[in-house]
Amino acid sequence: MLYWFRALYGRHLKRISIGVLLAFTAAYSGVSLLILSGWFITATALAGISISAGIIIVFDMYMPGSGIRFFALSRTVGRYAERLYNHDTILRLVAVFRLTLFKRLSQLSFSELRKTSDSEWLSRLTADLDALDSLLVRFTITPIVLVLVIICATVFTHFVWSEYALSIGSYLLACGLAITLVTIKKTKTLAYKNSRLLNEMRANVIEHLQGRFELKSRMLMQRHERHVMTSLESLETVQTAINNRIANIQLVLDVLLMAGTSSLAIIALMSVNLGQIEGPIAVMAVLMFVSISELLQVLPSHFKQWGSTSYSANRLSPQVLDSPSTSHASIVLSDSDAITVLINKHPNINASLVTPLTFTVTGKQIVVVSGQSGAGKSTVANIIAGITNSSVQSDGDISIVVSGDNTSYKLPPYFSWAKLAYLTQSNSILAGTLAYNLRLGIQNVTDDQLWQVLRMVELDDWAQTLGEGLYSWLGETGSQLSGGQSRRLTLARLLLRSPDLVILDEPFNGLDKRMAHRIWLNISEWLAKRKVIILSHEFPNKLLQETETNHIKLNL
Amino acid sequence: MFIQISRPPATDNKLTGRLLLEQFCCSQLPMLKAAATAGVLSTLFICVMWITFAMLAQAIIVNGEQISDQSILITCFFCAALLRVITVRLQTMCGDTASRKIRADMRREILALWRNQSPLVEHQQSPASAATQWVEDVEAMDGYFSKYWPQKILAVVSPLIILCVVAWINWLCALLLLISAPLIPVFMILVGMGAEQLNQKYSITRQRLAGHFLDRVANLTTIKLLNGEQTIFDEVKSRSTDYRKVIMRTLRVAFLSSTVLEFFTSVAIASLAIYIGFSLYGAITWGPAANINLFSGLLILILAPEFFQPLRTLSQYYHDKASALGAANNLVDLFNSQTTAEVCPEVPPINSQKEHEIEVPARYQPRLKLDNVSIGYSHETVLAKRISLNLCGNQMLAISGPSGSGKSTLLNTIANYVKPLSGNISMSPGKYPVTPIAYLPQKPWIKNASLLENITELAPNTNKEDILFCLAALGLSDEFGTRQNVLETPLGKHSQGLSGGQIQRVALSRILLNPTPIILLDEPTAKLDVHSKALILTALQTLKKKAIVIVATHDAALIDVADSCIRLDSIGEISHAVLV
Repeated sequence: MLYWFRALYGRHLKRISIGVLLAFTAAYSGVSLLILSGWFITATALAGISISAGIIIVFDMYMPGSGIRFFALSRTVGRYAERLYNHDTILRLVAVFRLTLFKRLSQLSFSELRKTSDSEWLSRLTADLDALDSLLVRFTITPIVLVLVIICATVFTHFVWSEYALSIGSYLLACGLAITLVTIKKTKTLAYKNSRLLNEMRANVIEHLQGRFELKSRMLMQRHERHVMTSLESLETVQTAINNRIANIQLVLDVLLMAGTSSLAIIALMSVNLGQIEGPIAVMAVLMFVSISELLQVLPSHFKQWGSTSYSANRLSPQVLDSPSTSHASIVLSDSDAITVLINKHPNINASLVTPLTFTVTGKQIVVVSGQSGAGKSTVANIIAGITNSSVQSDGDISIVVSGDNTSYKLPPYFSWAKLAYLTQSNSILAGTLAYNLRLGIQNVTDDQLWQVLRMVELDDWAQTLGEGLYSWLGETGSQLSGGQSRRLTLARLLLRSPDLVILDEPFNGLDKRMAHRIWLNISEWLAKRKVIILSHEFPNKLLQETETNHIKLNL
Repeated sequence: MFIQISRPPATDNKLTGRLLLEQFCCSQLPMLKAAATAGVLSTLFICVMWITFAMLAQAIIVNGEQISDQSILITCFFCAALLRVITVRLQTMCGDTASRKIRADMRREILALWRNQSPLVEHQQSPASAATQWVEDVEAMDGYFSKYWPQKILAVVSPLIILCVVAWINWLCALLLLISAPLIPVFMILVGMGAEQLNQKYSITRQRLAGHFLDRVANLTTIKLLNGEQTIFDEVKSRSTDYRKVIMRTLRVAFLSSTVLEFFTSVAIASLAIYIGFSLYGAITWGPAANINLFSGLLILILAPEFFQPLRTLSQYYHDKASALGAANNLVDLFNSQTTAEVCPEVPPINSQKEHEIEVPARYQPRLKLDNVSIGYSHETVLAKRISLNLCGNQMLAISGPSGSGKSTLLNTIANYVKPLSGNISMSPGKYPVTPIAYLPQKPWIKNASLLENITELAPNTNKEDILFCLAALGLSDEFGTRQNVLETPLGKHSQGLSGGQIQRVALSRILLNPTPIILLDEPTAKLDVHSKALILTALQTLKKKAIVIVATHDAALIDVADSCIRLDSIGEISHAVLV
């Protein structure tokens, strides 16, 4: 939580101060309106009695009257301005948080990034980000405004009723402080638990729904519901406990403030009896206490969020999100370099368990890695691409050696290729236009070049049928595309680049054999200049009959 | 924040979000009313409290009496203060309890609705978004039930009580309050309508902007591989700015409604104070001004904010109402789908021991009969017409045909996940569609739990020996054997990643261990390695001796194992099964 507090104050201190000032104006105008009115009424009552008794006194009716009107207006305007301004700050804040988070996420290693594509994780992320606005509204502005109001009220009281000013102020301050601390202390753990349970329940529900296809036909759904029901019951227990605690804390606060109000009322009236203060001052003091009490009332409901906010903040904390090492060595390859891969005893690659798997990638021949599903093809691809951290294995080892004419060096556990084109097994199309998807990450690409690569993957006809051609929006998640179209589009994206190393994982998945063959012929010129690794469940005989290949078989 | 797609307004006979909320209130009406009553009582006590205070002030400040003589008033003052605090606590307690119970009811009801839904709705709504409804949307209704609902009553009753008290003292002040009170809702509605319009105007922009960040995070791996990070940083930044601007435009209007309230409260206090002050001073003599003294003036002044307070609180809770309504609108489709659907099959009682097994007498022959059945998802897109099948006795039937010809749909129809467009289906033992049927889909379900739990969830009442035997037969014991206890092997998210073949075999073991008289398998050998495929074929050889097994496949090896085969071709018309 500290991290996000710092991110908040570091960037928006000025805005926060202005926001606090506006909120203070609104709150203090409210208090002033009531106390001035109370004083005014009492004073006029006394003046009226004196006048009817025939005593001539000088009483200015108009100063307090206009004061009352001023405060009525400043309270309204202040409140509106404050709400608007602080919401603007919150939105700016969330924007900053988003960017901070996005930058940090983008520094994660690929293996850790994998979980970020999980929609479950994503919705959690947004919920957590949204929860952080408590930091400003609940934990910053409210307490500061309250302290300011109490201080001002105390100073003011000091001038009119100096005997009790300090006591009133410190009583209110103590109440506020105590309640805040007690609320945090008593609800933190439970609120944290509540957030955790909600997440757990979510996971259980998702699992239940995923199993519905097999459970329902067997009439076993109700039986499986028991997992969800268990988490629901524990959630209810925790929520009951939280609600009771909050309500009790509120009760204590109410009792404290009511006791304060009552005692103050009695003391003030006694002081009038004793002639220490005037009647109007007594009424004013009581009304001041009452209106500040009302402001203090919100404290428990604000600070009960502490636990859930810190839960969210913790999940977004740098420690959780940062990978152990983010410094990647970026590897530049030259044409004459050869990459030798050795994989020994990798748990996901059965072929490497008995004898080490080893092969060399050069620009002269295409390396084809084939094997059944589950043989570990994608793992091999990820290792070479630098996506899988190659130091995690306990008893196995992995080495990737780059050897050129004069030099030869082993790659560190974390590395990335300066120029890599990696077609992963899954197609990810970003929500945006067709051109946006093709151009991502490269500059200075003309529309003609885009059409050229689309022609290579036989998407040009399809692109022409789209309403706005290259600038047609590809759905929220690119859902307008069929599997085969997405595959070809992701391939086209790579063709615009000039990488040293090309890794294609099942490049023609979802395409029929004839089209695959045509596309292969179209791209073979692009492939010819580079080091190429193709991973496929079967050796593509037809495609590669005229190409020099190095065939690696991964057997179970 | 998930994008909430606005739904078309519901027609008369259908539930709306508002009706749904009201319907769920019914079960806890006494508790909710108790909360409102406690709230009304607390208003009464606060009136008593301020009346006694004003009396004390009048007695001491104006009449110059001694405070020591006022013990009765002081006692009343303290008692009222104490009772006020207690009633507030009671109100919270009742509201919270009601809300908790309503939400639990609602969640149970949704579970029941899901139970009766066809699992194929998954194509329209992902489990994750359904789970969001169950968890977040229902949670979002908390404020509506615990706070907004009782406050809705309080906002009417409490001001009336205060109005009565003020009217008793001074009718002119009461009149002033009375005039201002109805004006507030009018202004608020006007402003609210404006805000709603703005909201709708920007809703698509807002949805796109809100979705942008999530989409980019989800595709971060791709972005990194394409070196597009910098582009996306700039994009995230500019989109956030756009988002803020759009939101602020709506908020500027939306906040006006609370400002209206604020304004009326302030103006009322100010004008009352000035009127009372001038009356007390003697500057105003007409109307009831002559009767005002410090007691009545002070009391009216203190009660004026209390008059507006319930309304202000209500407007604070308005946010709770809006989010509850939004959540209810998300849920309403689910509830409506149920009322329009046919009466759904009953689920066998959960407590019976043998609930999931149908006793099949040793010589009993299971039967499945399809009589002129047409399948498809709507009458416009019929996938296959006039399918007639008459299967009697344990055997295996293969359904082949090109993809898209309706193989899976036929299985879904037999499982009662899709209603047949025409024709009849009958089966025995048991009665269609309430007979349990084991169904292995193309992507089997793997729970995030141990292998044992994954098996017993679908094959309850199975002992460990049988499970181990079955796993050995499927070759899984050897593959998971490196770990100490095969049954404790973690599957799902925590697993090291099972191959497709292993997942299929785990799922098949659940069927082998708890076979139903009729078993449906959808492409059980597709995309599998030779090893897994051989093991599955062997297992099917035994399985077909125990039940009617229907397999959708285009795997020649699997068709060979089958006793008979029907082919759905793209024309989609077949007369009946030809038994081999």
